[in-house]
Amino acid sequence: MIVEFGHYALVLAFAMTLVQSVVPLWGALTKDERLMAVAAPVSVVMFLLVLMSFVVLTISYLNSDFSVLNVLENSHSAKPLLYKFTGVWGNHEGSMLLWVLILVFFGALVGAFGGNLPSDLKATTLAVQGWVSAGFILFLLATSNPFNRVVNPPLEGADLNPILQDIGLAIHPPLLYIGYVGFSITFSFAVAALILGRIDAAWARWVRPWTLLAWCFLTLGIAMGSYWAYYELGWGGWWFWDPVENASFMPWLAGTALLHSAIVMEKREALKVWTVLLAIFTFSLSLLGTFLVRSGVLTSVHAFATDPARGVFILTLLCLFVGGSLALYAWRAPMLKQGGIFAPISREGGLVLNNLFLTAATAAVFVGTLYPLALDVVTGEKISVGAPFFNLTFGPLMVPLLIAVPFGPVLSWKRGDLLAAAQRLYAAMGLALLLTLFTFWLWGMEKVLAPLGVGLAVWVMAGAVSEIVTRVKFFEIGPKRGFARLVGLPGSAWGTALAHFGVGVTVLGIVTASAFQEERIETMRPGDTVDLAGYQVTFDGAAPRRGPNFTEEVGHFTIRQGGVHVADLDPSKRVYTARQMPTTEAGIHTIGFSQLYLSMGEGRGDGAVDVRVYFKPLITLIWIGCVIMSLGALFSMADRRLRVGAPKPAAKRKTASLAAAE
Amino acid sequence: MTRKQRRLTLIGSAGAVLAVALGLILFALNDQIVFFQSPTDITQSTMPAGQRIRLGGLVEENSVVRSDNAQVSFRVTDMANTVAVTYTGILPDLFREGQGVVTEGIIGPDGVFMADSVLAKHDENYMPKEVAEALKDQGHWQGGEETANQ
Amino acid sequence: MMFWILIALLTGAAALAVLVPLSRNRNALTENSSSADEAVYRDQLDAIEGELKRGLINEEAAEAARTEVARRLLAAHDKYHERSENRFDSRRLKAAQLISLMLLPAAALGMYLALGSPDEPDLPLTARLSAPAEEQSVDVLVARVERHLADNPEDGQGWAVIAPVYLSLGQPQSSARAYANAIRILGARPDWLTDLGEALTMVNQGLVTADAQSAFEQAVSMDATAVKPRFFLAIALGQEGKKAEAIDAWNSLLAGADETAAWVVAARQELAALENPDAIASQSRGPTQDDIAASQEMDADDRQAMISGMVTGLAEKLSTEGGPVEDWNRLMRSYMVLGEKQKAEDAFADASTAYADKPAELSQIKDAASKLGLPGF
Repeated sequence: MIVEFGHYALVLAFAMTLVQSVVPLWGALTKDERLMAVAAPVSVVMFLLVLMSFVVLTISYLNSDFSVLNVLENSHSAKPLLYKFTGVWGNHEGSMLLWVLILVFFGALVGAFGGNLPSDLKATTLAVQGWVSAGFILFLLATSNPFNRVVNPPLEGADLNPILQDIGLAIHPPLLYIGYVGFSITFSFAVAALILGRIDAAWARWVRPWTLLAWCFLTLGIAMGSYWAYYELGWGGWWFWDPVENASFMPWLAGTALLHSAIVMEKREALKVWTVLLAIFTFSLSLLGTFLVRSGVLTSVHAFATDPARGVFILTLLCLFVGGSLALYAWRAPMLKQGGIFAPISREGGLVLNNLFLTAATAAVFVGTLYPLALDVVTGEKISVGAPFFNLTFGPLMVPLLIAVPFGPVLSWKRGDLLAAAQRLYAAMGLALLLTLFTFWLWGMEKVLAPLGVGLAVWVMAGAVSEIVTRVKFFEIGPKRGFARLVGLPGSAWGTALAHFGVGVTVLGIVTASAFQEERIETMRPGDTVDLAGYQVTFDGAAPRRGPNFTEEVGHFTIRQGGVHVADLDPSKRVYTARQMPTTEAGIHTIGFSQLYLSMGEGRGDGAVDVRVYFKPLITLIWIGCVIMSLGALFSMADRRLRVGAPKPAAKRKTASLAAAE
Repeated sequence: MTRKQRRLTLIGSAGAVLAVALGLILFALNDQIVFFQSPTDITQSTMPAGQRIRLGGLVEENSVVRSDNAQVSFRVTDMANTVAVTYTGILPDLFREGQGVVTEGIIGPDGVFMADSVLAKHDENYMPKEVAEALKDQGHWQGGEETANQ
Repeated sequence: MMFWILIALLTGAAALAVLVPLSRNRNALTENSSSADEAVYRDQLDAIEGELKRGLINEEAAEAARTEVARRLLAAHDKYHERSENRFDSRRLKAAQLISLMLLPAAALGMYLALGSPDEPDLPLTARLSAPAEEQSVDVLVARVERHLADNPEDGQGWAVIAPVYLSLGQPQSSARAYANAIRILGARPDWLTDLGEALTMVNQGLVTADAQSAFEQAVSMDATAVKPRFFLAIALGQEGKKAEAIDAWNSLLAGADETAAWVVAARQELAALENPDAIASQSRGPTQDDIAASQEMDADDRQAMISGMVTGLAEKLSTEGGPVEDWNRLMRSYMVLGEKQKAEDAFADASTAYADKPAELSQIKDAASKLGLPGF
């Protein structure tokens, strides 16, 4: 009964989305407050209904209720409890239910906390969110219903794909989806603004916290996915330019551009047309990503489902939403009034530059991801576009952007002075130059690009620090007042600095881990030792071991440095019994920010194994930088002026400032 | 600067960045993409030595030979033709004899394919998409449509 | 019924979420909506003052920004008054109410009836495994015993209970493993050894392998008169091509046998085949094949009967004629293995009554009960 109750809750949620799609919008267009008032409570009820069905599916997993087809196909009674739980979204149907849950969750957030929004914008935004929700709940019910039942079910299920039986899976998809799907709300805001014709600075302010929230989670989700692939797949790579990764990276790039252009719109009411277009593009790229991953047009580790009916359905939704919103845009955008003007060298100019490069980079990733698919469809020719393509296109586009990053925040609005800005960055330039030379001295001239990359990363980091320091004139007014001023800085200033610093940290990690990585591949017998980056790795032998639902061959390795014991590592080869599927578990030892990475190949029978040993200098900085970036987003969100709640009306000052304006 | 000049500067710089991006993309597409080939494609065509390709097919039964220093050699077949492959490194978890594989590398002067990466990414059928289609072309694929997630 | 009531309640609650805001007082609504735009711009003006005060921007820049924001503020102010006249229309309201009252339940119910299976009960695994044995299919019973054995792999009786079931389900491999476990834990018994050999033979499509042969030989050494192991040993000799020895074996087996027994027919056929290979060359090889076929043809009811028959037969015998202590213990254990605690307790009570005046046996029964973890011990 519980199962059917959950199923009904989902169906009822769909019926509610129909009401949500029509009634509030009707109210907004006819200026009827009562109809508009429907939007908020309905958005909350929709969320509760979908949450109910999600909880029911989770209960079915925890109870191993194999009368639910989805549980039968993806679970096993012997699976550890954690993976019964995370297994809910470790399959197509369950993950789409999570997708929809987050979609209605964002609607409910706006419904519950959007008190400061004008009622017509709020109602229309929620109505548009209702259209998207209706489309995707219908997709669930029609093609991927997680509540399909089995009469007389067997007593054991098929188990979850072993690659997905990992703590990484518990965190990665929810984070990624919150990010990805979070951009739906900016999309809804953009479409609502186009419908109502209210595209102004205030709109940008209302949208910004939502963009920040989605961006923050998407950043964490991508970083988490990258780290997960790094330690779970056993190849030692952290980014593969795999289409599935690109699917989440494109919305991130577009979302980053959106964050920056929304600042210009908020402060100067310029770039209005562009910002709205970016909001539409960002979510369209999220939808495209969903299509790529969920339709099975790609073959990769992430694509757990293949069914043409689903692909066609999502493609239809994609065309409907993207085509519809772009048509609306083409109709409405020309009616917008010109915003504030600015000189090319100015804060606005810097942000435009940022947008240009980010958009061009998005386009490069887009072409690299979709070109092989398009070519396959059109000519049947099979090509692969791998890392070299992206390194050659994405890389060069990022370099000028990174050089420009520290300049942006120190330029003034409207009309900036490049020389004055550069003066404020002398210290950062000096530090970057120094470290570049130091790296050259350390590594010689054989890797010319790497020291330059290190210098670039340091430049971005130091630039972020010096922006904050010079902004409060820290050294001019003395440390005591300086600290007071630092604390008093608005959250958005801290957010900018942190996020930019995080970018620098990530770049540093990428440059060092790629350029200075050391790697050895050896066939080792017990007692053999391999020397790598000053560490001695000794293979002591391998032994079989049994886990709850797998068996494994565990190798034991001792790491020493100059004869001193550093660590023991136990990488293994696992075979998951239910699916007879092998996986590699890497052994990782973290030394400072660097890591020693060990993975074993198949045994050779005589006790020897093929072993791959990496030393990856500063690799953890890649992910630490992403965490710092997300922190930056959180700081920005916490800014009083951006807070979701309504700002206090300042009645007295209102008259004063109005008088000043007149 | 007049308003018009400002606007022109903006459009000019946007055009420049986009032109550079387009140039990079076209150059990279011309140079950095890798074509997928089956063993039959390789035996039939005369490819310039040193051309980077992806070779896909089935790992021939009993063809895997491992030697020291993690070197391994095997043969990739599409049931019509066979190409010998050498590789140094750890084979992916799902690499098995008789099953699909995609390798990337170059053909040496002796006709042996020197792979620098071996992928055994695949769907539930243990068959990379490209390999399945190449085998279908050769008429050796009976996997059919029972792919729906079992 | 409960389900439909819950569904009706849920639908009602959802409809309320639409109806309540629709019926709210219009004055309350108009008063609530102040100009949100103006609030934003006023906030921006505040921020400019704040930055100026902290010396983050100079007076000139502040003035420029202030003018710009003030201009936006004025525009928003005008626009607000222009758009803030609320229009209410009762026909529109009626239409919206109708939509939520009619369309919502109709769409939800209609769709659910098309998609859902309201009559399907939940089937959580633990509940399925602990339901009363009579209502269960063989598969569930087997799964239940397997689960028990996975937790208590040293329960020899459990293995002995499940082993013949496996055999009748056509899983000789599992059956052989179960017999082997039972023998390992509880020691060899001729009937188990024989069944083990039979299972191993069935695994190999009727070929009596060395493993099976040694099991049969061990059984014969424990009980020299047992027919079944000697039957299979005779087949083994025939399969090895030791024709003369096989004929001897068959003859000694048939000597004094009850001619009406079913196995005698098969044995005579084998013997005839050995003595007259050409005449019956086309005959399919070995009666074990037929045995397997016969056991596999047992339909589901028979299997069901076989399982419950195993236990209930014993229970009946013990309750009517009584029996040795071992049988009582076996009954209790069988019930425990099948997860029927209550029946095990009843069996214990019956056994205690039966041996009430024999303290030695009674203590044996109590021992067994406490080992099984029956309540009260």
